[in-house]
Amino acid sequence: MTQKGDPLPTIEKVVTQDQIEKYAHASGDFNPIHVDHEFAESTQFGGTIAHGMMVAATISEMMAAAFGRNWPESGSMKIRFRSPVKPGQRITTQGSVRRVDAADGISRISCTVSVVKDDGETAIAGQAEVRLPAGSK
Amino acid sequence: MEYGELEAGQIVSRHSYCLDPTLVSDYVDAVQDDSGPLLDAGGLELVPAMAVAALSMRGVVEDLRIPGGTLHAGQEFEFSGAVAVGDSVDCVATLAQNSVRGDWRFLVVDCKVFRENDAEVMKGKSTIMIPAGLGPREVGQ
Repeated sequence: MTQKGDPLPTIEKVVTQDQIEKYAHASGDFNPIHVDHEFAESTQFGGTIAHGMMVAATISEMMAAAFGRNWPESGSMKIRFRSPVKPGQRITTQGSVRRVDAADGISRISCTVSVVKDDGETAIAGQAEVRLPAGSK
Repeated sequence: MEYGELEAGQIVSRHSYCLDPTLVSDYVDAVQDDSGPLLDAGGLELVPAMAVAALSMRGVVEDLRIPGGTLHAGQEFEFSGAVAVGDSVDCVATLAQNSVRGDWRFLVVDCKVFRENDAEVMKGKSTIMIPAGLGPREVGQ
């Protein structure tokens, strides 16, 4: 997984309202746009949406699957939340190695990452990087 | 508190958390992460990186009393050390930017997370958009 153009593992999930509510409890973020149907229906989204950080967790899962513990030890990510994910939607991560820079025994792997919904819209897009000791995976 | 009175450089949240097995398992269940835990070189189970990131935002949401209708526009993270299950961390959030554009107030918040020995394990930048007419939600809402 250290050559330019290499794909990253794909992570696929269906987001449910139950998962959104579990995430609200786990994160402490009870913004009604996520958990209050009546409130959410009055917004531009017409219903509840998943927490952006919950959707972004799939990118982190993809990076951990690709680079193991190097990800929490040396990873970075810069993302934009482009469109909301609603309950019932399937999300799929996409990623590929964009650039590899090696110096002083360390390879810095830069990746393009995104989360795409089953309607074809991009939910999250951005870049991620991780540093690997030369010669690892 | 009025959002317009918050100034760049101001610490807006500071909290300590223990990443105990229950908290970590609740997080893993919520994000449907079934990849199994990562282990450090000594065999200790590591906390998913984004669980640490989510904790760094938790105090911000609570202490700024972020109102309904707020949107999370962008996020940056940089991890510099893994956290093991059972570790405690300190999360500090500082306001980096406070501006109004059109119908939205943009708050940019810098978050840093430290292990108990003061070693930084994560830093991040969150951009949140609050409808400009809204103030902090009432306590208890």
